[in-house]
Amino acid sequence: MSTDSLRAYVDRLAAHGDLVQIDDPVSWNLEASALTMRLNEADGPIPLFRNADGAQLLGDPYRGSQCRPWDRIATGLGLSRELSRREYYEAVIDRLRNPVDPVTVDREDAPCKSVVETEEPDLLELPWPFIHAGDGGRYSNLHTMVAPDPDSEWVDWSYHRAMIHDSQSASVLLLAGEQTPNLYYYKYERREEPMPVAIVVGAEPAVQATSVMWIPTGRSEARYAGGLKGGPIELVECETNDLLVPASAELVIEGRIVPGARRDEGPFGDYFGYMHGPRRSMPALQVDAITHRPRPIIPYCVEGSGVGRTENTTSSMEAACVGPDATLGLRAAGYEVECCGPWQSTPRTVYTISTPTKSSERLHELANFIYTTWGMLHVDFFVFVDEDVDPLDQRAVLDALARHADPSEDFHQFGRENMPKVPLNIYQTPSEKGNIQTGTSKAKTAKAYIDATRDRSHASPEADHRALSRADAREILREAGVAVGESDPTRSNLSSTGDQT
Amino acid sequence: MTAVRALIDRLVDSDEAVTVDKRLHWDGEVTAVAAEAARTGGPGIVFADTPGELGLASGTLAATNGFRSQSPSTWSRLCAALDLESSSYRALLSTIATAAEAEPDRAPIEATVSVEPDLYNLGLPTLEPGGRPTVTLGVIAGKVDSEVTWAPIRGDVQRYDHLRLSVPKAFATRCAPKAEVVVALGVPPGAYFAAIERWTLDRPDAAVLPRAAGLTDVSVGTHGSILVPAESESLLAGNITSQVTQPEGPAAAWEQLCETESIDVSISTITTRPEPIVPIAPLGTPLADDVAITGLIEAARLFRRVNNYWGVAPMQWIQLPAEAGLGFCIVSSEILYAGFDWQLANALFSFSDLFDKVLILDEAADPSDLPRAIDNMWVKAHPANDWVFSGPNAPAPTAPEYRTDGEPGSELYINATWDVSWDEEYIAPRVTYENSYPENIRERVEKRWRDLELEDL
Repeated sequence: MSTDSLRAYVDRLAAHGDLVQIDDPVSWNLEASALTMRLNEADGPIPLFRNADGAQLLGDPYRGSQCRPWDRIATGLGLSRELSRREYYEAVIDRLRNPVDPVTVDREDAPCKSVVETEEPDLLELPWPFIHAGDGGRYSNLHTMVAPDPDSEWVDWSYHRAMIHDSQSASVLLLAGEQTPNLYYYKYERREEPMPVAIVVGAEPAVQATSVMWIPTGRSEARYAGGLKGGPIELVECETNDLLVPASAELVIEGRIVPGARRDEGPFGDYFGYMHGPRRSMPALQVDAITHRPRPIIPYCVEGSGVGRTENTTSSMEAACVGPDATLGLRAAGYEVECCGPWQSTPRTVYTISTPTKSSERLHELANFIYTTWGMLHVDFFVFVDEDVDPLDQRAVLDALARHADPSEDFHQFGRENMPKVPLNIYQTPSEKGNIQTGTSKAKTAKAYIDATRDRSHASPEADHRALSRADAREILREAGVAVGESDPTRSNLSSTGDQT
Repeated sequence: MTAVRALIDRLVDSDEAVTVDKRLHWDGEVTAVAAEAARTGGPGIVFADTPGELGLASGTLAATNGFRSQSPSTWSRLCAALDLESSSYRALLSTIATAAEAEPDRAPIEATVSVEPDLYNLGLPTLEPGGRPTVTLGVIAGKVDSEVTWAPIRGDVQRYDHLRLSVPKAFATRCAPKAEVVVALGVPPGAYFAAIERWTLDRPDAAVLPRAAGLTDVSVGTHGSILVPAESESLLAGNITSQVTQPEGPAAAWEQLCETESIDVSISTITTRPEPIVPIAPLGTPLADDVAITGLIEAARLFRRVNNYWGVAPMQWIQLPAEAGLGFCIVSSEILYAGFDWQLANALFSFSDLFDKVLILDEAADPSDLPRAIDNMWVKAHPANDWVFSGPNAPAPTAPEYRTDGEPGSELYINATWDVSWDEEYIAPRVTYENSYPENIRERVEKRWRDLELEDL
């Protein structure tokens, strides 16, 4: 079954031999992050620093293994870590199709209320990590932000990093076009009202997974988290506002994002592997209360280290959470989609969609649908491939791009600078990025898609006439001691791109 | 050291090849396992128990999947094949691009055990059950203009004493009718490399033997009146009988580099070394040996040719990754001046027929890090400005599966280098361990690493 708290997840990691505990004191000032990055690069265990200024630090807890980025998140959700990519995606999709209502618990039953600070909450009493030497400050960057729509009952759970400024304030990266930022910029701030928020640090795995998904506006995120968990999420009321937060959390920061106020944010070593700049202004969080467990565990992500062959929490959650969610969302919207998955080496910038669709009109529609909805700001590229190509198999996707995408007719929307972009990119100049109020770049960019499906006239037939099935061949290789990679055994008789033997 | 059996022993000793002990039939089963190993970027495979006169191995000349981190070294098998101390891509590229010709040593041929001249008894693998046994990774030795040369082959068994082979058209047309030839299997890798390289030039060159000897210490011996690689595992001697239509099945990757023609060869004698072992390639499979070798040879040719084109040598390295099926070229180069990226890409398009997509990286790019190279394509190249398409009149490339009728189209290059006009402050530093943590922090981490006994990671 799913783990019902971050601590239970940590215990499960330990049981699998996936945890390294560091009992000696560690500094939040680069040291914890440095060891985490080393472990990320080495595909090593997850580090738990048990002695960090009265609290605990947990480095990149949802990082998956480099060949199976979904495996530890599967563990957190109570799924087998041995599932193939396809089995894992379908299992998550099944759970998302069956939401479970949350339940509300009393304060005294909520672990996150063990310590309650409402008089003089002090962010600086906690060991927020200073993650890279060039960062603008210390960050909370692996949490769930809870924010309500002022005009309905809907509450959004999302994932916006916060740079700590002093005891009671922080700046929050809000990029217009995403759900919570839109609530702030276009509702609360225009009405000159503060947006009540709660930053939930160290929530249980199902909550953290939900917060990175694009749950449609108006839907209860807590219900989807319950679906993922396979049981109700326990919620508890905040101390200083009306929001409900996951009771099992390690720590909750209650506060308001105030209208008209900005604080510096960044620079930061970001998800795509570069230190982006320049420093810019972002909305300011005013802290009203902090509640937490004793010696809370503060998880964090060493951003920028999930690029190339290395995984970190962000890159693994893209593959394990956003991918299945996007696949379900596109299917629900009526598109024929086998799988939508990220380019594993480049988090959040490019996605691949495998589809039986050959219609260029339908692919155009699909691309536009995505770019005008959840894929708008961070994603620059979509690659469409045939349904027998696994989007998470970069080799197969690159092969399809090289051998099936004709520069004459299969590359679309390149060169047209008329779409929005987050300023976190590195291909725009500082003046192109600008510093406009809503956190998008001043200059527009292109959002492109590539049709790397086979031409009708060159559709490769499935190779199902071998002496051995691919599964049998893989078993023979396993018996010989070969680690045969992660292709899906349920697809063992389907050919990969270009595989015609 | 360059004999194929020595290479296989070396790969087994270094865990870059494994032995499959299970009995597998040459009729489809061997190819199925070889294909799966190649597709997954696995190690070389030695098939310990197959029926027939020849032992079989696969993946001995392959590169591993550059996207997989577990690979010991993407290029180490190919480096071992050329007997290089280093396993770096730069060393491999430089060796092939710059090796001088040499006079090959003479030595007695090793394949002296006569076997029944029945090709079906050899145990050559079929691609699928009931198919024709196939010949890959070998050379045909014959005389062209009275000079012995070796050319690459791909083909299959037509009858017990007949092979049908695809060979470079230039070789076929310059051979005498009914010419005496020897098909050599299990040849030293240098011989195979040289045969492909010389016969796929714009102006094919029959001087393969000195090229092979220049690449590595290939020795030659006489079989009949033909010089063959002395350490070949098996020699099938006979005569060309006719020129016919193409062999069945997928083509080898080298066939994308030149025009080919088919010949039938009547085999009269077959000899082998004791316990012969012959590398085979599962044709049409991603990452198969023939793809890696062809990409390497074309890359070396471009490296030599383009890097001298402007009187300076701005290119650091160039690759045609087998992962992209040879339809994609990656080049790391200094950008000498604004617009040099355009010149570089178009020089590459002009000098190669294989691909119509070029990715240009900064000169600091690491050739062993394919994930990072492709990552730079996605995050450093501006999708509006740096994906540059040509007009629609470029010739159709040979590696892709579109426009196979030769219809012209566009070419694409992606400039993922920093804009030379940018101020230094615009250039975003990479997030690396070294950039992110000062030395004293790294020293503390290293101490913890030892204390936590993480050295084996």
